[in-house]
Amino acid sequence: MNEEKKILTRKEAIKKMGKYAAITAVGTFSILNPLKAQADSTPPDPGGNPLG
Amino acid sequence: MKNELAPTYEYLYGNNWVLWYAISNSYSVVDEGFKKTLDTYLKSNSKSSFKEKITSLKSTELIENILNDIENYLIACNTRSESETSLNESFIADYRKIQKTYKINGKIIKVYFDSELVAKIIHPAIAHLECDSNRIADSVFDIFLRDDHLLLFKNQSCILKTPKKDYHFLRGKFTMHILCEIYEKEESDWLGTFHGSAITDDKTCILFIGESGSGKSTLSSILVTNGFYLLADDVSPMLAKNTSIYHNPNGISLKSGATEVLKPLIDNFEDIPITEFNTSKGPLRYFPSPKPPKNYYPCKSIVLVNYTPNTNTELLEISVKDILETLIPESWLSPLPEHADAFLEWLKTVRLYKLTYSDNKSMIDTVNELFES
Repeated sequence: MNEEKKILTRKEAIKKMGKYAAITAVGTFSILNPLKAQADSTPPDPGGNPLG
Repeated sequence: MKNELAPTYEYLYGNNWVLWYAISNSYSVVDEGFKKTLDTYLKSNSKSSFKEKITSLKSTELIENILNDIENYLIACNTRSESETSLNESFIADYRKIQKTYKINGKIIKVYFDSELVAKIIHPAIAHLECDSNRIADSVFDIFLRDDHLLLFKNQSCILKTPKKDYHFLRGKFTMHILCEIYEKEESDWLGTFHGSAITDDKTCILFIGESGSGKSTLSSILVTNGFYLLADDVSPMLAKNTSIYHNPNGISLKSGATEVLKPLIDNFEDIPITEFNTSKGPLRYFPSPKPPKNYYPCKSIVLVNYTPNTNTELLEISVKDILETLIPESWLSPLPEHADAFLEWLKTVRLYKLTYSDNKSMIDTVNELFES
């Protein structure tokens, strides 16, 4: 996997899940992003959007 | 080198550093080895000078990899967060079809909805606060569905526009503005809203966290029926000025799986109306538990809830890394630097645990001991 692809994957992980963790040769790190706005914990609805 | 990429704040908790980057509002947990190398990179005048400083430690190939890792890490931490879109939606009174009035902490709040379906997003959690008051409302909210977007107006000014699939942001914003109204605060006064349930013994409070479905609400309900007060369920708001958690008036949301446990503990459980809205959560009941005597309490512990059938109750101290990896991605935290600093300062004063349990009685005893310790 080239470096550009690695960065994209990292950015996508942070955007989608709010977190990204990795082990490097010198130690470990994680990057955690809070939600951009206030929200309750309603998960995405696999049964379709209740609002149609 | 590139000092503009350096973290804004750095805090050490045990063996973990927590670094905060203002440009992205990112929190990063790193171990001492990574922190040392990051510091070396940021203090170096050039890439070659950085490589020279770590030459004695690694092979040439490893040095290149380390340089790439540090640079990619800093790029990820310094990616600017998206700014909010402007809100210039016009208010149209014709959308008002349903009206509800609530009395919360002495304030009269009027809410208009454009349909029963839209009302179901907001009303069930605060149905127990509905009243018939003819008093002039302290604030008026309107919630409409227009062009596949949900719009939230406060006193006829649009404060949120979100795609209808993201109605959890509507709930979050509405709750935030209810909190502002009932405690006479501005949105910018709040440090954040934690995804978790806060329980109080009327002296301090404990914040219980865990992923959706981890049993936080069931545990909260059991504690509420055993002498404790619910301060907040699901959305636990912290004020920046005093880093205390405030009472959130929403009822506790109980999934159908909790029914068997709670039916014997809650009077007239069957009378609590069932709301069916989101199929992944299933039918929900909103349990209106008694309000604690005070509006807010300092939080002295964060507990990661781990309900595991057929296990002994165990309360173990865990690291800031374990807590933040669960807490931060599901919480809203203010991007203001003074608020991030206050959050990191407060975190130094809090004890962090993981509670594994299956037996309710020993769980209650453990929580009791935690409050008294």
